[in-house]
Amino acid sequence: MTIAVTLVIVIVVAGVAVYLGIGLRPNSSTSATSSGSPNGRTSLVLEEESQPDTLDPAVTYVTPGWEVVDQVYQGLVTYNGSSITQFEGVLAQSWTISSDGMNYTFVLRNGVTFSNGDPFNAYIMWYSIYRTLVMEQAPYWILGQNLAPGNGAGFNVTDAMLNSINYSAPSQANLSVMERSQQSVQVLNASEIRFNLGYGSNGVAPYSEFLSTLETPMAMAVDPAYVASNGGVTAGRPNGALTTKAMGTGFYELQSWVPGQSVSLVKNPGYWGAKLPKSELNNAIAPAILNNIIIYYKPAAASIADLKSGAAQMIFLPVTFYNVTKGISGVTTKVLSPAFGSAEAVSYVYMDPLAFEPFNNTLVREAIACGIDYQVIIKNVFAGLAIQWVGPVPPGFQYYNQSTTGLSPYQYNATKAAELLAQAGYVSHLPDGTKLNPSGKVFPSVNFLYDSDSQTDFEAAQIIESNLGSIGIPLTLLPLPYRTYTGVIYSSSTSSTSYPMGIGFYSEDYTASIDYVYYFTSDNYIGTSNYADGNAIAWTLQASTSFNNATVISSFTNITKAMYDNYTDVWLYVADMMTVQQNGITGIIPNPAGSAAGYFLYFNTIDYSS
Amino acid sequence: MIVFFISHVLNPNPALLWAGPKARPETVKAVAAAYHLNDPLPAQLYYYFQSLLTGNFGLDPQTGRPILSEIMFYAPNTLELVLASMVIIIVLGIGLGYISGMRFGTKIDSAIRIFYLTTWSTPYYFGALVAVLVFSSYIPLFPSGGNGTVGFSYTSITGVFVLDALLQAKWPALQSGLYHLILPATTLALLSFGIVPRIMRSSILDTRWSMHVKAARARGLQEGEVRQKHILRNALIDTTTVIATTFGWLFSGTIIVEQVFAWPGIGQFSYTAITSDNYPVLVACVFVFTVGVIVANFIADIIYPLLDPRITLGEGG
Repeated sequence: MTIAVTLVIVIVVAGVAVYLGIGLRPNSSTSATSSGSPNGRTSLVLEEESQPDTLDPAVTYVTPGWEVVDQVYQGLVTYNGSSITQFEGVLAQSWTISSDGMNYTFVLRNGVTFSNGDPFNAYIMWYSIYRTLVMEQAPYWILGQNLAPGNGAGFNVTDAMLNSINYSAPSQANLSVMERSQQSVQVLNASEIRFNLGYGSNGVAPYSEFLSTLETPMAMAVDPAYVASNGGVTAGRPNGALTTKAMGTGFYELQSWVPGQSVSLVKNPGYWGAKLPKSELNNAIAPAILNNIIIYYKPAAASIADLKSGAAQMIFLPVTFYNVTKGISGVTTKVLSPAFGSAEAVSYVYMDPLAFEPFNNTLVREAIACGIDYQVIIKNVFAGLAIQWVGPVPPGFQYYNQSTTGLSPYQYNATKAAELLAQAGYVSHLPDGTKLNPSGKVFPSVNFLYDSDSQTDFEAAQIIESNLGSIGIPLTLLPLPYRTYTGVIYSSSTSSTSYPMGIGFYSEDYTASIDYVYYFTSDNYIGTSNYADGNAIAWTLQASTSFNNATVISSFTNITKAMYDNYTDVWLYVADMMTVQQNGITGIIPNPAGSAAGYFLYFNTIDYSS
Repeated sequence: MIVFFISHVLNPNPALLWAGPKARPETVKAVAAAYHLNDPLPAQLYYYFQSLLTGNFGLDPQTGRPILSEIMFYAPNTLELVLASMVIIIVLGIGLGYISGMRFGTKIDSAIRIFYLTTWSTPYYFGALVAVLVFSSYIPLFPSGGNGTVGFSYTSITGVFVLDALLQAKWPALQSGLYHLILPATTLALLSFGIVPRIMRSSILDTRWSMHVKAARARGLQEGEVRQKHILRNALIDTTTVIATTFGWLFSGTIIVEQVFAWPGIGQFSYTAITSDNYPVLVACVFVFTVGVIVANFIADIIYPLLDPRITLGEGG
């Protein structure tokens, strides 16, 4: 073999590669992933970084999972697309709430079918809710607050029971189970179902945001026959087969989920909503316009490249990429209202007094609140695309403005912070270097936890370390990967002293202020400063059980003021959320419920303007 | 052992993660019991090795699916990527190493050395992203990700999409599979292949001036025959060993490359397992990687006698 021959081989190989790139490129009729606009503009490629955990509505607990489930499955109610407090009927035609708030009765739509043709009815809804409760997977608690498989008096819905009932033509014995009144979900007849609250972990009490919990995937209808053919229900276990398969009543069908790569959705050809007169349609039940939606899961840089080349029409990116996408021609980048950012995450600094003695002193906590330069964080980390907030009700959500009336976000004042620290008995430093209380105690170094997978948390932690270090509070930065980090902040252990302080966050599990308030006041986590104040718990309970707006506002106002004056948590920032898509895409209805796709809930309304 | 201890030190309470942060304490306990998380570390180590040795990896705590079936889905995709990369590595690595060695000290030699040292020293994440930006965005020759299965109906026979499409004569699917395979495979190959031309070049240099080559020329053999039978063939012995080692490198590279190219393989599966403290899945992934490396070395052992008749399989001398 001569050198020339070898060289020729190398050149040929390179040439073949380039040839393959051009020659093998499928035309749009053979691949939906090719560059360029979608075939006939009836399909859309969306890209984001995170992928679903599972497509089982009873199990999925991450936004990308909810995003897909919301297209394939449907529940009784959802938001109307312009408000996060007003609901529309989806599988429910109408509903009534009893005067004491303990019973919700739904009249179901007629003519609803699953995409395989199986009819939907009240028995199936009964099954679907109990399936979630009996499987008891991670998001179960959303329903489990108010509902339970058992009634505490001998009646208990089990997996065997769920697997044995005939839901299309129930026997008398079946009916006696499903129509029993002393249980969480009660069938009244084939088209009416009633939820009886009081059996869940909240105890015998109404829940003013119960409809918000019914809007989540956990309460969506699944076909018992389909589940049975895929392994049925097993108590306490996820259904492995339904992890990657899905079949519901929704406007899209799942064509494929290739874990690690993509989800492909195709228009449901037999969608029940297509038979409704236009006057009865709403955004949540209208038939899909586009035939095909493909979601790819790729790193941000790859998604941006695809948006530029036209291979993707929409991408989801954190707002820190705003200036990158804003400069791409033919692309629209828009910042959404604060509620969307809140749905994604609200951030704060927690200080656990059980793990670190100095945090028992309110002056120390106040010094920390005054010692952080919030505006520098917002400017340097988020390029100004974030807001400061006062918790625990998140900005943009119902009752935020009322509960924070008269309270301004904590302000940076290094002089005041140093003075407060000196008053607390510690040596501190003014911005000009003057030492205060030189005979005081030296503030011990404190571990500061943050999520190392978050670039913004990483940068914010550096600024906080510098700010507090300059007044005399030395921080030891303690980064942990996201999953390990969440394992720590959600821990209620009081024995660990390794993580007394850090950046915490909360993102919604369902779209309601009370979801956030419960987390910050009642759960006694390390990540919420182990706060367990009797008054705050009582106010939270009052807010969650009251249907009176004034009472709820009063409760939230009391909680906000108490936490604010106590410096329980240092409320940091809420980053904005943005939409990024090629020009000419219409029908995106932003809705923070479930923070699906980052910013919109349903894909059925999406279309092209030309 | 290392994987076991690192994974168990990183998060002392994975049951909380698997059951959900707001799960009832009884549920967390049940999950912990199901996966032996409350047992002493030596007992957990026993179960770890039991899983490794029996191949019975149980159920994925996060999806409920048998881990073996998940592995059977992901592993063929990785095999497809790794084998394609291997072909590129063998052709390019041996070819460039040969040219470099035979043109020792020339500008071509320098250029080739700069090329393979640059690609070899480039971090996987950076190199993969540059490949996407250049060949998918600026020069849109290839798709930026996926393995090309979307939109095609086919029966999974081997799990390797390209092969399945070929076996079933699904030409558009085969075309799509190859089209999606080229960029990630080439990227993985180029970022991993540097050692092959380097060793090849060094072996060529050792061989081309050795006594047996001089003797061959003295016997009047044609220069082409000398190069092919006496230089190239001898140089391939060391290179074969390195190629087998590179197979292991490729597996480690897939963890990043599959992530960037949205390639549904075992690399990405392990990345997800690592970041979610999913020990049972991690055990299975480690097992697959280990088997892959062992098989590669085994194949290298089989190839040695073909290259050098002095080496024989069987009892040692």
